Amino acid sequence: MSRSKRWSRRRFLARSVSTVGGLAATTLAPRVGWTAASPTIRVGVIGCGGRGTGAANDCVEAGGDGVKIVALADVFADRLNNLKQKYNVPEQRCFVGLNAYKELLALSDVDMVILATPPGFRPIHFAAAVEAGKHIFAEKPVAVCAAGIRMMLEAAKKSEEKKLCVVAGTQRRHDPKYVETIQRIRDGMIGPIVSAQCYWNQGGLWVRKREPNMTDLEWQLRNWLYFVWLSGDHIVEQHVHNIDVINWAFGTLPDQVHALGGRQYRVQPEYGNIYDHFGTEFFYPGDVRTISMCRQIDKSAGRVSERVVGTKGVTTFDGRIRDHAGNVLWEYKGPSVNPYVQEHRNLLAAMRGGTYINEARQVTESTLCAIMARESAYTRQQMNRKWFMERCDLNLLPPPDLKLTDPVPVAPVAIPGKYQLAGLVQEKKGK
Amino acid sequence: MSTERRSDMNTRTSHIASHAAAAGAAGLAAMAVPAVHAAGSDEIRVGLLGCGGRGSGAVRNCLDADPSVVVVALADLFPEKARRLRDALMKDPKYKGRVRVPDDAMFGGFDCHEKLVKTDTHLLLMATAPAFRPWQMMAAIQAGKHVFTEKPVATDVTGCRLFIEASRLAEQKKLSIVAGTQRRHEFNRVELMKRIHDGAIGELVGGQCYWYGGGIWYRGYEEGMSELEWQCHNWYHFTWLSGDQVVEQHIHNIDVLNWCFNGPPKLFTAVGGRGVRDYSEQAKQVAAKLGKPNDWAKYNGDIWDHIVAEMEYPNGARCLSFCGHGPGTHRNGEKIVGTKGSSDCSGRIMDLEGKVVWQYQGQMVNGQLQEHVDLIRSIRAGSPLNEGVRIGESTLTAIGIRIAAYTGQSVSWEWLMKGSKNQLVPDPSQWKPGPGVFHPIATGADPLV
Repeated sequence: MSRSKRWSRRRFLARSVSTVGGLAATTLAPRVGWTAASPTIRVGVIGCGGRGTGAANDCVEAGGDGVKIVALADVFADRLNNLKQKYNVPEQRCFVGLNAYKELLALSDVDMVILATPPGFRPIHFAAAVEAGKHIFAEKPVAVCAAGIRMMLEAAKKSEEKKLCVVAGTQRRHDPKYVETIQRIRDGMIGPIVSAQCYWNQGGLWVRKREPNMTDLEWQLRNWLYFVWLSGDHIVEQHVHNIDVINWAFGTLPDQVHALGGRQYRVQPEYGNIYDHFGTEFFYPGDVRTISMCRQIDKSAGRVSERVVGTKGVTTFDGRIRDHAGNVLWEYKGPSVNPYVQEHRNLLAAMRGGTYINEARQVTESTLCAIMARESAYTRQQMNRKWFMERCDLNLLPPPDLKLTDPVPVAPVAIPGKYQLAGLVQEKKGK
Repeated sequence: MSTERRSDMNTRTSHIASHAAAAGAAGLAAMAVPAVHAAGSDEIRVGLLGCGGRGSGAVRNCLDADPSVVVVALADLFPEKARRLRDALMKDPKYKGRVRVPDDAMFGGFDCHEKLVKTDTHLLLMATAPAFRPWQMMAAIQAGKHVFTEKPVATDVTGCRLFIEASRLAEQKKLSIVAGTQRRHEFNRVELMKRIHDGAIGELVGGQCYWYGGGIWYRGYEEGMSELEWQCHNWYHFTWLSGDQVVEQHIHNIDVLNWCFNGPPKLFTAVGGRGVRDYSEQAKQVAAKLGKPNDWAKYNGDIWDHIVAEMEYPNGARCLSFCGHGPGTHRNGEKIVGTKGSSDCSGRIMDLEGKVVWQYQGQMVNGQLQEHVDLIRSIRAGSPLNEGVRIGESTLTAIGIRIAAYTGQSVSWEWLMKGSKNQLVPDPSQWKPGPGVFHPIATGADPLV
């Protein structure tokens, strides 16, 4: 199936999904979720791999006896076994298959869901969870394409209207060291921001080679990091954390982005069609330009951090703000907190009537920035956010009738100049 | 053809073309140089090493820079290139009587620089592929010549060190070295940099530089060439010969940031690769002509097509370098950011709100001419202008970025100066017609040497 054919089919599907969503909202009464009267928050996990399992454990650690994992969904039965056993989830509340999320969301006694499947599915799952009136913990990123971003933004809006609580797995937003540093940036301690950098440089991650009995889709799902339609490429899947911090520090989004990237080291077929490095420049309002760099290359130098520079000072979010002479202006002295647990504490507290929290829009926006950077690298074209939101037709959303046995050819690795970004008319330049 | 050797010429020209001729002439008229009119002892005898596109540009710039310049010797790996250039210069009425190159002052072959330095010349212009320059430079300085050298001045760390050593020797011998980083000689930038160094934008806390442009030439095989000679003919495509694009071209922009900071960075981190460069068809033709049809892949070249780097300067400022060739949005330029404002590194200073608070309004000059004007003036005045160490450091800065990208490691300036054993160029004893020198395309995780 050619890319454009797949795209046009998917665009149609995306439109129909939104339409159905809209209809559903008007015809179904919003579900009354967890109320303060209930003693226990009942949690369903959609996507029970490494991240879903981690999030479920963090949620339980955060909520103690006040939360219970009551339902599980995954495409593969073997993936939900760990959680099933650990939390004694009954067989009839464990759902398997590509539509398992629907069955779980149909359970009226589930108050909150953890969305932790490969991010390619997130917009669909998120929209469905909002329709079902569930509070949501959504792993990052929350989309991999323009259509997914639009679907997320629409669903995010709806979740706010329905007063659903949403927390995203960008845990730095819940780390007091970060929170307090950002507060001081807001208060003007470093002056206006004039420069910033963020990085996620590391070695390789796990990889699953294809086994003879695997269908296209099973292999891709089990090896999802390496397929753009599932993970969004590593800049979206992983580096979104750091991009999100820079957006947070600025309090706004970049207008433009220009990136270069490629697949230089990790070229074997088991690594699908993603790149292994990106070097990006983001342009924030006022022509403030920032560096973003990410790499997954074995044996290469690691660096995962963010740095923000103002006219009066600088921070690397290590709990200190310094002036340009290196003097410490402020130091975080509070307790060290596990942000992966804290984000669940904050979500549960909001659900229990604390300060309302809904991070859907903010995580969607940071996901958008990462996707724009990826597409800029794939095309080597400078991307304008307004253009991307209004004109980019990239749609990698899976069709609703997707079956595990469907042929899913691996799209070719993006070669700048050959790669076609839906909606972009490229001038012929250079070689 | 000038674009072949100095691929920035079009860009440069488009910026200041309208000013170039007039300003250059005006600059000369305004120059207070004693006794340049007569021939004889006032003559500045010039020899050119490297008679390709850039060399023929440089020698014309030099002739244009001062009426007392005479060209007396020409050298090139390929002697017919020297002959062609002599013919072209002699046909040009502008240079009547000033191109006096007898047949025995025309040199060819890999050792042509050794012959050139023995001629009765004051000034040598160096414009061969950069790989050979450190040795050429050392020979020239030892022979007591002033030098104009094209950028970059080396392609590996070992070569940079040799070049810097030669530059220090030139200091002792009171010789001038001017480099073809012409931005350093443009009045607008000079005036701007004075202000930046005086604190006009406060402390420098960030910056960016870019050279992402279109593709480059690929030169096919010509009859009679050995494999190595063909490789030198098509030098841009091989890292050991050109240094890769980050070194060969982007050095201009990197040098501007080094100028802002008055020195090189302390740490380099970079990513990059080769995603779109493909000369398979041409490479197959070369392979066929060399009688190695199955061995064509190496003739495709080994340079990358993009590198994005962070350069951290000694004061902690982290700057972006962004370069490559290929499709998409092309960019070329620099920006420097301080605590009080920013600058385009060309002629404007902005405050923190982006309002232009200073703009250069003086005379614009053609930097590629002005660099020769400045060089000759320094020779004449007996006060050597020696940019050798500086251009050596900017070359090493670009090489540092390349090494960081090729290896995936963070690389420090200190290690580059003292620890690295990076050497890509074969020993001069190996410079002779014969088999080429081929390295695999870097993986992004190459060993750090």
